[in-house]
Amino acid sequence: MSDDDKFFERLRADAGKLRYQPDEVTLARIRARIHDRLEHQNAKPGVLELLAAWFRPLAATLTAIAIAAAIGVNSIDTTDTTVLDPAVEISMAGDTYSVGH
Amino acid sequence: MVDDDPLEARAIARVQQGDAEAYDYLVGKYLRRVVSIAWGVVRNAHDAEDLAQEAFVKAYESIGRFRGGEPFGPWIYRIVTNKALDVLKHRTKFRHEELEATEPAARRDDAELPALSSEIGRRIDSALDELPDMQRLVARLHLVEQFDHAEIAAMTGLSDGTVRSHLSLARKKLKERLADLYGDPS
Repeated sequence: MSDDDKFFERLRADAGKLRYQPDEVTLARIRARIHDRLEHQNAKPGVLELLAAWFRPLAATLTAIAIAAAIGVNSIDTTDTTVLDPAVEISMAGDTYSVGH
Repeated sequence: MVDDDPLEARAIARVQQGDAEAYDYLVGKYLRRVVSIAWGVVRNAHDAEDLAQEAFVKAYESIGRFRGGEPFGPWIYRIVTNKALDVLKHRTKFRHEELEATEPAARRDDAELPALSSEIGRRIDSALDELPDMQRLVARLHLVEQFDHAEIAAMTGLSDGTVRSHLSLARKKLKERLADLYGDPS
């Protein structure tokens, strides 16, 4: 073994002591955090959550249709009022009578 | 590399089949080393804890792609090394921006390492710290974590030749800086 190799072997033996050693409390804390993350990831939705997931888009669609229909009816009502606005004229025995307002 | 721990092989198979509880065995077996590797790169206990957590969660998420019969160690070491290097890159970028405005924040956490209380420990740590990034990483993994060339290549994604080259350069610099400590005759 060359001097260079001997130097490196001794250095490696000393450097090995520089390895970071987390204490048991730290290790337990990290394990708990990992466990929590995995549990959260694996949590399966219940029946109510599944139903809510199904009904949410359906409810949104129905609401949108209802709003569109309400706006449409309101618009027709406004138009009808303007159509009925003019007075009605009735002719009888050569005379014309105006009915309205 | 073949996995020679039957309990580990069984745990991996069970996790792949959806048994999350079996993952505890793998976490218990490798956590200490994973934290140590992360700490060696980022030099901060808080970051090292976060990195270890992220590495194990990522490994769990990708365990379906893990090949049976292989040891879990090199895989999780590689994941944590990559994550730690990402943190280091982010810090370097952030530090450049910081330097323009103010003094950089302290990142090292030397008080967490009892071995640094000795003169030899301090000198080695300081000499390692002065090496360029990749030489420092490879030298730390070889000298402090005691991994061999092939293991370091697998963890870092570098070729075996590149690992040897980084280590050779690091070795020369370390010998110069620590010559008095080890009684170098030259």
